[in-house]
Amino acid sequence: MKYLQKVLIIGAGAGGAILANSLDKKKYDITVLDKKDKHYYQPWFLYVAFKGSDRKIWRDIRQILKPHVKFYQDAVKKVDLENKVVETESKKKYTYDYLVISTGTVTNTGSIPGLDKINEKYGNYHTNIEQAKKIWNNLQNFKGGTIVLGQSSPTCKCPPSMLEGMFLVEEYIRKKGLKDKTRLIFFTPYPRAYSAEPINRIVEPMIKERNIEVVTFFDVDTIDTEKKVITSISGDTLNYDLPIIVPPCTGIDIEYNPSTILTEDKFIKVDRYTAKVEGYDNVFAVGDANNMPVSKTGVTAHLEAKVVAEILDGKSSKFTGRINCPFDTAYGKATFVISDYNNPTVPYPATSFKHFEKMMMARIYWGTLKGTYDPVFDYFFKFTAPEKLLKKYK
Amino acid sequence: MANKIIDARGTACPGPITDLVKAYRNSKVGDILELWATDKGVKADTDAWAKKTGNEIVSVTEDGEKVVVVIKINKR
Repeated sequence: MKYLQKVLIIGAGAGGAILANSLDKKKYDITVLDKKDKHYYQPWFLYVAFKGSDRKIWRDIRQILKPHVKFYQDAVKKVDLENKVVETESKKKYTYDYLVISTGTVTNTGSIPGLDKINEKYGNYHTNIEQAKKIWNNLQNFKGGTIVLGQSSPTCKCPPSMLEGMFLVEEYIRKKGLKDKTRLIFFTPYPRAYSAEPINRIVEPMIKERNIEVVTFFDVDTIDTEKKVITSISGDTLNYDLPIIVPPCTGIDIEYNPSTILTEDKFIKVDRYTAKVEGYDNVFAVGDANNMPVSKTGVTAHLEAKVVAEILDGKSSKFTGRINCPFDTAYGKATFVISDYNNPTVPYPATSFKHFEKMMMARIYWGTLKGTYDPVFDYFFKFTAPEKLLKKYK
Repeated sequence: MANKIIDARGTACPGPITDLVKAYRNSKVGDILELWATDKGVKADTDAWAKKTGNEIVSVTEDGEKVVVVIKINKR
């Protein structure tokens, strides 16, 4: 019998699942480990928090993986790259020929004084459904005052999600007839509301028109939940009645040998083109778990996973740094943040059609994990290549 | 001599300023940070950042595609 190469994948998020489903079962013996038994469509937390959506946005991991992929629910404790062994909480040991780390991130509310209390009372829309529901409940009880929204650290997933939240809050407040009684403040550690200037050009008129105040270079240091004041590292303050604060995110707490493959925020150092872990030809890290200089989003996890699948297949594939982040600008419109390593962000106008595409993505997501829509994506990514769009949009 | 080199060359969205803001969080007074970028917008952004946060731009040099901004942390 032919020897099948053992591919071990840690984490069944978008990157891990897409990779597992992309590999040829005639060549590989594929095993996926995850501490959870469910996979969540995380972009929808936004609509749980700001629209009160109760759509079912999870599936059993077993269900999203092709039948030949082995899946065990078990939390990984230790990854020993030197000896090619992965140890789990249940004391099992897994060996591999190829290892792929796709462990994602965790929101870390403990790193900022006061953020734990904020999270407990007001929730956030980057962690899970329960936290997102808290935001919706608080919004429904809101009768007027100051709503402050922003990211508490420079490291967060999905860069558009902060302004998406603010825009959807504004739409909600206006439709509720509370606009006159409400002050909306958006804070950011960056020089402008959206860090990439070309997209900022697109959203700035909306921010002005909707009377949203923007506080730039505001990087949260502490939060005083008694006085309801947020203080920045440079000593500026913001008072709030309703705070919506996105917590910092870091890599997952797993012990690695060698520990030098981790950044100070526990992200895994990889080559930006191949997703290979520094110093190991048989180890990759895809998606949010790695330190690639791109946004932490599902689409990068997807594209990186496809590149790794091709590399394992003997091709000289490279990740181009392509990002394609849907950006809901409320009132039924959206844009996409599109760029890659060689091309700057496109000033891509918001339209109803792009909003429709964002909604379609949520519908077809489960199929994308199994590769059902690969030809559609190939076409979409070619059609919207940044170098093409940049000729049209300046 | 820089305490930390921040290599943000070829960084796609959200851009080099995000790497500087991250490094600032983990820095202390007296640190010298060296930011490498290929995005020309980095000069205006770091300048605005330094003014706002009370830190100092020591030098900005261009070497072909590469822009090097040296920053001294005076306030944290």
